[in-house]
Amino acid sequence: MKTKTLRTIRRLSQALFLLLFLFLFIQTESKGADELGYPVKFFLDFDPLISISTLLSAHAIERGFYLSVIVIVMTALLGRVFCGWICPLGTLHNMVGYFNRRISAGIHSTWYAFKYYILFFILASSLFTAQLVGIMDPISLLIRSLSLGINPAVNYLTRTVFDTFYRFDIPVITGGSEFLYAILKKGFLSFTQPYFLQGVVIGALFLFILGLNLYERRFWCKYLCPLGALLGVLSRFSILNRSVSEGCTSCGVCQGVCPGDAIKDSEGSWRNAECLYCMDCDDLCPQNVIRFGFIKKNRGVSLDLTRRNTLLSLIAGIAAVPLLRITPQSGKRYLNPALIRPPGALKEEEFLKRCVRCGECMKVCITNGLQPTLFDAGLEGIWTPKLVPKIGYCEFRCTLCGQVCPTGAIEKLPLIKKETVKIGTAVIDTGRCLPYAYDIPCIVCEEVCPTPKKSIWFEEVKIKNREGTEVVLKKPRVDIELCVGCGICETYCPIKGKPAIFIISANETRSADNQILLIP
Amino acid sequence: MLHAAANQSKMYPRCRSGRPLRRVFSRPASSSPVELTVDVSFLLMEVVVNRRDFLRTTFIAGLGISIDGTVGSFARSLWAADHADIAVARGESPGGITKAAIDALGGIGKFIAKGDRVVVKPNIGWDRTAEQGANTNPEVVAAIVTLCYDAGAGAVTVFDRPVSDPRRCYKQSGIADAAAAAGAEVDFIDERKFEKVPIDGLVLKGWPIYRDVLEADKIINLPIAKTHGLATLTLGMKNWMGVMGGWRSRIHQRLDESLVDLSRVIKPALIVLDAVRILTANGPQGGSLDDVRRLNTVVAGTDQVAVDAYGATLFGLTGGDLGYVRLGHQSGLGTMDLSKLVIKKVVL
Repeated sequence: MKTKTLRTIRRLSQALFLLLFLFLFIQTESKGADELGYPVKFFLDFDPLISISTLLSAHAIERGFYLSVIVIVMTALLGRVFCGWICPLGTLHNMVGYFNRRISAGIHSTWYAFKYYILFFILASSLFTAQLVGIMDPISLLIRSLSLGINPAVNYLTRTVFDTFYRFDIPVITGGSEFLYAILKKGFLSFTQPYFLQGVVIGALFLFILGLNLYERRFWCKYLCPLGALLGVLSRFSILNRSVSEGCTSCGVCQGVCPGDAIKDSEGSWRNAECLYCMDCDDLCPQNVIRFGFIKKNRGVSLDLTRRNTLLSLIAGIAAVPLLRITPQSGKRYLNPALIRPPGALKEEEFLKRCVRCGECMKVCITNGLQPTLFDAGLEGIWTPKLVPKIGYCEFRCTLCGQVCPTGAIEKLPLIKKETVKIGTAVIDTGRCLPYAYDIPCIVCEEVCPTPKKSIWFEEVKIKNREGTEVVLKKPRVDIELCVGCGICETYCPIKGKPAIFIISANETRSADNQILLIP
Repeated sequence: MLHAAANQSKMYPRCRSGRPLRRVFSRPASSSPVELTVDVSFLLMEVVVNRRDFLRTTFIAGLGISIDGTVGSFARSLWAADHADIAVARGESPGGITKAAIDALGGIGKFIAKGDRVVVKPNIGWDRTAEQGANTNPEVVAAIVTLCYDAGAGAVTVFDRPVSDPRRCYKQSGIADAAAAAGAEVDFIDERKFEKVPIDGLVLKGWPIYRDVLEADKIINLPIAKTHGLATLTLGMKNWMGVMGGWRSRIHQRLDESLVDLSRVIKPALIVLDAVRILTANGPQGGSLDDVRRLNTVVAGTDQVAVDAYGATLFGLTGGDLGYVRLGHQSGLGTMDLSKLVIKKVVL
């Protein structure tokens, strides 16, 4: 078509899916009710790379993943339309790439194979139970980067701007800014400013990946994306194909604009596994000879993946597994006390087989307590969630993390069950607890302990202080059988920075080995 | 409805004809010589003792008065009919008894003027439902908000600075929905709005207090009665922790003095203690319904120390058992001697 209708429709589709994605992202936040009310992990459910990888590593399918079959069938029939019309990360790449007016095709004609090697690496390691897909999967990467890096940064920027207006208290302007601020707070700002460990790294990495578009448009999609590679493999026998009819003058316009670098020559040889079905060539062809339709593929070019490289990537994927597993934590010789997993988390081996490090649980955690690990769970567990009570505790009656986990690494628990799940136990350091070490009354820990029968009780003791006066002190004691390890005591302990009561992972219900008590 | 526990009656009050009056809801005689008891059904069935007293009442139609007191308290009781230090209302409807308690004190118009900016400060501290008795009863909150608007208040704001996540506390307690439905402005705490207030206190020299409280025309303290590990009971004075900024748990180190210091600085027009449900163990968070006792009572007053002292009796304690009440009494903040006070009781 001479008019740019296909392109417009495609862009509209991309915009709609991006807006839907961002809407669901913003809804991944508590409003106070028990259920979230929106299917916030929708996009992850549709992701076939995650469902296949989880099926391989954990031999399990979460209910949501049946939706990924839709994408598989769609790709088998129509090719990589997901990449061109739906993927929100792809849309962001397009938006950044708008500022790069150079030709982005034909520069690295052999690099496209690299994403397939990444795919094979991931699938091989998944087959041998190491779930590494989430690190490179585009949807997981996008959600994680937004949750841990970009959203906190945007919040920080916005709040600082408005707080500055607020502080200067200029007559009409401050009123206007507060009005605007209230709207933003209702619409898209997080309830409180989120803070995340490694946020700067994850955010910067994401900006770098987006920034690659300024060098070459859709760099990620062409050379790095394992989901794109998987969809490329699936699209081998697609029925929606590109054809070039008589009248082609070999002007090369289509070749130059192709974002997937899929056009090899002007006579129609076309690497369909690399085509993003963006329809730009159709719209922009000056002779109007290009057409996408349900025609038989002709002069298609196959993927050029060398057998050697394919084998190497498979072997690397397999070799990665034992290399990752030789950390003492895997052998349970050392159970990290700082690795406090969210309630509902499966036992560690199963957890690591499922967690895709998407960051949904960390985004939704209402106290900002769930943070990404670095080495706490070994390198294999990088960016999986752990509770850091110094930052935020686990709200006793909240079950949101289990509600948003796409792979079931954190089980969705009914409230009654969740209230009995232990994620650790509280330990008091009497060397710095106020009543013990300084004869000063406190027991904030006892006050905030949420278990119906309090897991912190107090002994009343009569002591003589330094002046010789007799004082009655209430000294806190932890009931180790009742304590669920939620961490609110550690969060509120007045001994700032090094709380006198703190949580260790021991006694967690999910682990048969990490137990203190004989009778749990 | 008659209260069944008409107990130790040394002297039944009698009407002019000599017929004994039915006696209801009486407290042990030792603590209060002047006591006005009210019984709805009484009027429907019996003649009122004294028409002048009846005419003096401020009760709504259908209630009657019976005077029960020591000899020679007739004059005092006439005065008492117009004045009460503490009102205690009992009944099935939390909203109804709240209104009755305020009416027994003289009506909301006595406390809220037209155009007032009112801050209603309930306890929304914990992520608990209304049945679990850890936050103020939402119907009581809604009733107070409605009463304020009836009195012509310009704006009624409801807020608290919870311990648990504010969104869950506001929602799960039912208070945000109930107060908003009654027309109040319900907002979460804005951390920027704390202002350091100098306090010439026993231990506190100053503390950040929420600006809405400082700028309000009238403040109504709306706590719930619960046990508390450190404070023994948390009633009205402890409820002021919800308007404190900063790291407020430090006041645990000198709790009694700190609460008195705060209560001196924040002067509520009214204290309404919600005892519809009280938490008798594992407070202030609670959690188990076994620890909740349904008393169906609301206590109202203007003396912070006195209301807390009365609240203590609901748990079988006295004001003197609570350090901050003793200290408040000693420092002149109020009185914990209930025998010196006029306590009006209403039963719906």
